[in-house]
Amino acid sequence: MQIIARALSRRRLLASVAAVPILAASADGRTISGELPWSPFAGEPPRPVNPLGWYFFTPGEAATIEAIVDRFIPGDHLSPGGKDSGCAVFIDRQLAGSFGQSSRLYMKGPFMPGLPTQGYQGDLAPAGRYRLGLRALADYTNGTYKKDFRALSIEQQDTVLAGLDGGKIKLKLKPGFSTKEFFELMLQNTMEGFFADPLYGGNRGMASWKMIGFPGARYDYRDHIDKHNQPYPKGPVSIYGQV
Amino acid sequence: MKQILLAAAFAALSSSAMAPPTDAGKYQVALGDCEGCHGKNLAGGVVLTTPFGRMVTPNITPDKDTGIGNYTAEDFARAMKAGIAPGGKLLYPAMPYPSYARMSDADIAALWTYMRTVKPVKNSVNVNQLKFPFNLRFMMRGWNMLFFAPAPYANNPAKSAAWNRGAYLVSGAGHCGACHTSKNPFGADKSTALTGAALLGWFAPDLTSDQGAGLGSWSNADIVTYLQTGRNNHSLASGPMAEAVENSTSKMNDADLKAIAVYLKDLPASRGNGGGATGIEAQMKSGANLYDISCAACHGRDGKGSLIFPPLAGNPTVRQVRADSIVRMVLAGGRGASTAKAPTGQGMPSFAWRLSDSQAADILTYIRNNWGNRAPAVSPETVGHIRSALRSGS
Repeated sequence: MQIIARALSRRRLLASVAAVPILAASADGRTISGELPWSPFAGEPPRPVNPLGWYFFTPGEAATIEAIVDRFIPGDHLSPGGKDSGCAVFIDRQLAGSFGQSSRLYMKGPFMPGLPTQGYQGDLAPAGRYRLGLRALADYTNGTYKKDFRALSIEQQDTVLAGLDGGKIKLKLKPGFSTKEFFELMLQNTMEGFFADPLYGGNRGMASWKMIGFPGARYDYRDHIDKHNQPYPKGPVSIYGQV
Repeated sequence: MKQILLAAAFAALSSSAMAPPTDAGKYQVALGDCEGCHGKNLAGGVVLTTPFGRMVTPNITPDKDTGIGNYTAEDFARAMKAGIAPGGKLLYPAMPYPSYARMSDADIAALWTYMRTVKPVKNSVNVNQLKFPFNLRFMMRGWNMLFFAPAPYANNPAKSAAWNRGAYLVSGAGHCGACHTSKNPFGADKSTALTGAALLGWFAPDLTSDQGAGLGSWSNADIVTYLQTGRNNHSLASGPMAEAVENSTSKMNDADLKAIAVYLKDLPASRGNGGGATGIEAQMKSGANLYDISCAACHGRDGKGSLIFPPLAGNPTVRQVRADSIVRMVLAGGRGASTAKAPTGQGMPSFAWRLSDSQAADILTYIRNNWGNRAPAVSPETVGHIRSALRSGS
């Protein structure tokens, strides 16, 4: 008797578990039959950022970031530097937006140390990490050189950045957020700004795409499929159709 | 006995004569595209934006309170053919009674038989939302005196039976001229029938055999395919024509579609679209570049499109004297007709976010004057006007 009761309850349990995903799916599901849905002016294109002013950085922070992105990507015969490419503007707009707040990530505790492969596991969203990191960097350079980072010579700037990267300099950050992680965050975001579509504020004039021969948002290569070992002759196109 | 006579009369005009009268009447609903304005259930409530203000189409189901349940056969015939509802109420010619006046009594009677069988729907509609003074119905008396000469279709003995059937459908139940014939300032047809007209923010193309803007290069079979499926090797029905194809022409039988083709192919060529633009080298150069990055992937560098994507080369929609339809399609996007034989209803995305007025004008001038197309240039101002009109929802 007891066995039967247990079997029933197990069956009921399995049935109820099975029902959960079905219910969840029906809440999201949408059936389209007949013709395809269409509506005028449909589409949610990303909006180009306003290139003027700073949305997140203070003027001092902005000047420091501009100096840093210009050392990551110095202007030369291949391309303009990180500052003139708009990398600092790109980072500023990202930090002022959803990326800066980690709005797509679970950001509540408990905060446990993770493995290196798991990335940053602390309670600070990128906006907070930049604010903390730049303040600690200013403290370090003022303590060591009596100057802000942006006022250092190029050689001194490179020494400081190499120190952040290589472990010789330990900024006063907080547990779970290392100096190396701060350096890598800035380097990663600078590269993103340099190579992302110009509408996000960086890659002005599609300079990086021209440098590497990336054609951007072109989408029809049928005329070139058979032209093996020939460089693609056309310049890049941005999402907003700049050429 | 009366019904047999009625059916016999119908047989003279329709190839679906063997069908019982309700089916015959249902076929008249398709021919007349009643659903286009009165809705799928014929209960009305569809808003028509006219140059004279807003009209909302009435309920024509047999509901006694809000529909036409109290009509007699005579009332119905009078409304259809004279534009006069019971009680002497004058209809507005947005209801194409000037065209329906050409329908035979037998077809009207078959339609009435079917209309009695439609499911009654209670839907009260405030039809007349026109601007003063057009909201004064009695004014239509003057309009009718000036512009309305009711006459049933008169057979042209010099032409074939198919031609006459085509002419009867095009000028009668099909009321093609409601869109494709340009209107005078009073909203009445001009004498240049079916040479194309602007309305509701679209340009209904020239249907004459003009080579530049009309159907000169279409075969009879091309016309049949277009009306039946919504597309052919030259063009794709979109906008109001997509609706007309879905509700009406795709439901017409082969014999009637062939008759329409015979008649349209015999229309004398219009005066054309004014020919190609000159002095547009800069627009053509810019347009070619922009076409390459925004349009070519679907419509092809050669403008020939594919089975799904309509060609632009030789497409009459592209070559009309006015560019309203294609400006609209570039800005808001568009949707092709979805029919039993071509069900996809493929959509074109909106480019309003990506193209400035002058960029859109350059692309359109380019496609109107490339690959053998010749049509007047499109100005940025034209694009700007249409953009703001579309944005404000009119």
